[in-house]
Amino acid sequence: MPQQLNSKDAALFRQVVRHYENKQHKKGIKVAEQVLKKNPKHGDTLAMKALIISQLGQQEEAFTLAKEALKNDMKSHICWHVYGLLYRAEKNYEEAIKAYRFALRIEPDSPTIQRDLALLQMQMRDYQGYIQSRTAMLQARPGFRQNWTALAIAHHLSGDLEEAEKVLTTYEETLKNPPPVADMEHSEAVLYKNMIMAESGNLDKALEHLEQVGYRCTDVLAVLEMKADYLLRLGRNAEAEAAYTTLLDRNSENSIYYDALIRAKGIAKDDHKTLKAVYDSWVEKCPRGDAPRRIPLDFLEGDEFKQAADVYLQRMLKKGVPSLFANIKALYSNPSKRDTVQDLVEGYVAGKAGAQSNGSAESQTNGENNDFLASSHYFLAQHYNYHLSRNLSKAMENVDKALALSPNAVEYQMTKARIFKHYGDLQKAADAMEEARTFDVKDRYINSKAAKYQLRNNENDKALENMSKFTRNETVGGALGDLHEMQCVWYLTEDGEAYLRQKKLGLALKRFHAVYNIFETWQEDQFDFHSFSLRKGMIRAYVDMVRWEDRLREHPFYTRLAVAAIKAYLLLNDQPDLAHGPMPAGTNGDAVDDAERKKAVKKAKKGQQRLEKIEADKREARKAASPTAKGADGEAKKEDPDPLGNKLVQTEDPLKEATKFLTYLLESSPDSIEVQCLGFEVNLRRNKYALALKCLSAAHAIDAAHPTLHVQILRFRKALDNLSEPLPAQVAEVVNAEFEALLPKAQKLEEWNQTFMSTHKDSAAHTQAGLTCRQILNKESKPQCEKDLVATLDSSDVSMETALAGVELLEQWGSDQAAKSAYAQKASSKWPESTVFNLD
Amino acid sequence: MVDIVPLSSYPSYIDLLPSIQTCNITNLPENYFLKYYLYHALTWPQLSFVAVVRPKNGYSKTTAPDGSKSLVEQYPKVVGYVLAKMEEEPTDGMQHGHITSLSVMRTHRRLGIAERLMRMSQRAMAESHRASYVSLHVRMSNIAALRLYRDTLGFKVEDVESKYYADGEDAYAMRMDLTPMWMDWAAIERKDRERAQSDDKDADEGEEVGELGKKETEQEQEKMVKVKVGRGLGVGDLVEKNEATQGSS
Repeated sequence: MPQQLNSKDAALFRQVVRHYENKQHKKGIKVAEQVLKKNPKHGDTLAMKALIISQLGQQEEAFTLAKEALKNDMKSHICWHVYGLLYRAEKNYEEAIKAYRFALRIEPDSPTIQRDLALLQMQMRDYQGYIQSRTAMLQARPGFRQNWTALAIAHHLSGDLEEAEKVLTTYEETLKNPPPVADMEHSEAVLYKNMIMAESGNLDKALEHLEQVGYRCTDVLAVLEMKADYLLRLGRNAEAEAAYTTLLDRNSENSIYYDALIRAKGIAKDDHKTLKAVYDSWVEKCPRGDAPRRIPLDFLEGDEFKQAADVYLQRMLKKGVPSLFANIKALYSNPSKRDTVQDLVEGYVAGKAGAQSNGSAESQTNGENNDFLASSHYFLAQHYNYHLSRNLSKAMENVDKALALSPNAVEYQMTKARIFKHYGDLQKAADAMEEARTFDVKDRYINSKAAKYQLRNNENDKALENMSKFTRNETVGGALGDLHEMQCVWYLTEDGEAYLRQKKLGLALKRFHAVYNIFETWQEDQFDFHSFSLRKGMIRAYVDMVRWEDRLREHPFYTRLAVAAIKAYLLLNDQPDLAHGPMPAGTNGDAVDDAERKKAVKKAKKGQQRLEKIEADKREARKAASPTAKGADGEAKKEDPDPLGNKLVQTEDPLKEATKFLTYLLESSPDSIEVQCLGFEVNLRRNKYALALKCLSAAHAIDAAHPTLHVQILRFRKALDNLSEPLPAQVAEVVNAEFEALLPKAQKLEEWNQTFMSTHKDSAAHTQAGLTCRQILNKESKPQCEKDLVATLDSSDVSMETALAGVELLEQWGSDQAAKSAYAQKASSKWPESTVFNLD
Repeated sequence: MVDIVPLSSYPSYIDLLPSIQTCNITNLPENYFLKYYLYHALTWPQLSFVAVVRPKNGYSKTTAPDGSKSLVEQYPKVVGYVLAKMEEEPTDGMQHGHITSLSVMRTHRRLGIAERLMRMSQRAMAESHRASYVSLHVRMSNIAALRLYRDTLGFKVEDVESKYYADGEDAYAMRMDLTPMWMDWAAIERKDRERAQSDDKDADEGEEVGELGKKETEQEQEKMVKVKVGRGLGVGDLVEKNEATQGSS
């Protein structure tokens, strides 16, 4: 039994609880101490005190105190509940669940403990536990609809759709009359039941149910969408056609509706005439729409295409729609369409426009003609800048003409910056984008672009300076603090990548961890909705949200961030000296003598100290400017004690840190070959041979001839041949058997590599991989490999990115300065405008 | 091609939330935590819409529960969005909608995307929530937006709110009547009664339903009170505060 207090102290204890509930924490502690003076071992009071001080942010003391409370009173549900709440606060959900379970065993009828347990079970996706909790909660209070709905959700998400539907129906049957139409909770619960029916695959039943109840559901659009979807999937084409026509009447800009309509009408894919007529009828109905005008360009061919494209292009160019090219370029996978578009627009700038357009050549005013011409040159600039139709000098010519006609057009100037980027001149690209920014300084979009181009040019400080024109700079940490607080993922990722390129690993890791933490926050964000959404009754949206959270890190934002972070940790692992700051190129090779290395480290450390001083000064200046900076949630926030990421970069175990990013990455993006190749790099360095091989096999299944994979297969063979101690027999057996499928033991390696190289002799990337392998197999071959690498630059289709990877390769091979210069010179002459091959 | 799709109704595009947040912080100075977007999506799932460019050969990693590859679960590019809500404690006692944030990427202007997003949201406010009107704020210097709201959509300037934005700029408070788009709920309840009568020949039952229909407004008010009590705990609190300091557009 819990310890007893005398009636006066018991009253005081109740006060402590009240103070806690009212968030009067200081008062709460004071009263708790009053009780403890006389009853120093009173578990419940100790626990309440622990809970309050944890609210004040002192987690460690809170835990010590909570443990003491438990020691004094193991049989108190309050002590266990508080223990669980503390674990919950530090997000150790598994321990929290255990503690709640103890508390609930002592006090099975406590609705608070039961609720807290249920919420955590949902957060942890412990569906069986959640079903149990929700069943108990329903039994305790069957009068509340949300308790029925919650149990249905529990069954639904656990996969028992039949039971979920049954629970909802049981509640519905208790309703004598249909609730008023305004009862959205009812309306949504009904549609939720319909969603479960459809998911269980019985579309006939779902459709019938929807016909019965749909007319009184408040989410009118959802009912129309569901109905149309079911009808089409059931093959009830005439009705589906009507349903999609209704949807198009409401919103004529949704290509999925058109696709569905065409399917319902049963029009053959090659019956262009009938197809075009359908779209034309929608153009007539919605003359201002884009979709019915644009979609036919996808299927029309030859003259029909040319005619339709002509009408479409002229109309959009006259309107000056800036996204025209973005909307057209998808057609370029078909070279003849690409050329037709090019001929048409080249014709417009040569003065051949107007005559063909619908036969109605209107006379244009000079101003209109000017705009049309500028738009056309702008279109051509983008056209010649696009990788499938690239001709950079023509692109530049056209953008200059467009700018001459319309000197302050932000979009035109943006394209100019993009052309410089493709030339490989990142400085000019950044400068051009900065100029575009000055055309419209109140527009954040162009400001963001300018900052992005500065980051691509490794100008982190300039970029932040630009960003600060739109951030709330009074936030703790200034502009950068605001970007963190507002979860500006794109900026933090680009900033980190720029630091990574400069080998400033501390700052790079700092940013990558910041984005990683934003994803953690997003995952945590769902917690409050487990209870909130039940009160609101918007169950379909809630269930969709829960499912989305389960695949949160499939978002390309995470993939990109994790790839960069892992690369940073691999670099740190391979070159530990980088922990002191960026090192000059060439100080990592074997050839460098120790004294030189020490000198470089010393220099790097000095640079680091200088940075720290600058950072400290900045912080002082901010403090002086606004002494009480607050976050967006109104709470005073502390300055970051490690703004440069020194702590992160000094990690004992970079590979373990990399694994943190990798685990989610492999889970959420297993189909990416880049991800699997990175997984191999991490696991090989950790001597996890089975895991490394798993990545290799996965990569092999995606693209067996991938160049990176080719090198990795060889490196894996070499690693197996040179184990410092043999693998455990069982592991060895599995690994050898599986690896046999990728590279048979009997295979002669030189031959294997030679076959690869001759099969892919026209691909620079594959040749790079083959040369790397040749060097691994025969160190003597280096000079020849270096020459052959230079020769890859002769290939007509080698891209600047691939060529740049060649520079990295020479670094990896430990080539000497002469070899590097030869390569760089050749690359520079191939891309004369580019600055990326500069040797310094 | 730009498609206009719902954010969190059917089909759900809720996976796009991080991209919508990015679209917002790329275009506008008024920014929000992801949780604030979630709060909109899960409280008024009918009201927010997204403008997307679908990937031509977009990858589809996840499959729908029935095993089919779902288009919705690809990651299209977000080029615009409207984030909307119902005013939770209307000072004038009238149910009305509010545009929290609307933006379209500069590269995708002049296609009428903002107008379409607005019209979809307005219609949903009227149909699903019986909103009397929709309100919004716009920077006085934002001529293009003003033209859209006033001339194209038919909003009226209600008021000028001095120093509404964090940088000190004033805002026009605008609104537009939505009652013409209301659903005929009386007709729906008539249908209820007809169904009840044909289902059940018992005259008493029909009577009872009829009475229910008459009391509609009373019941609706009662319901509204319930919703208010339900709010105010947890998420609502947390994110409303953020909005207050951030200012909405």
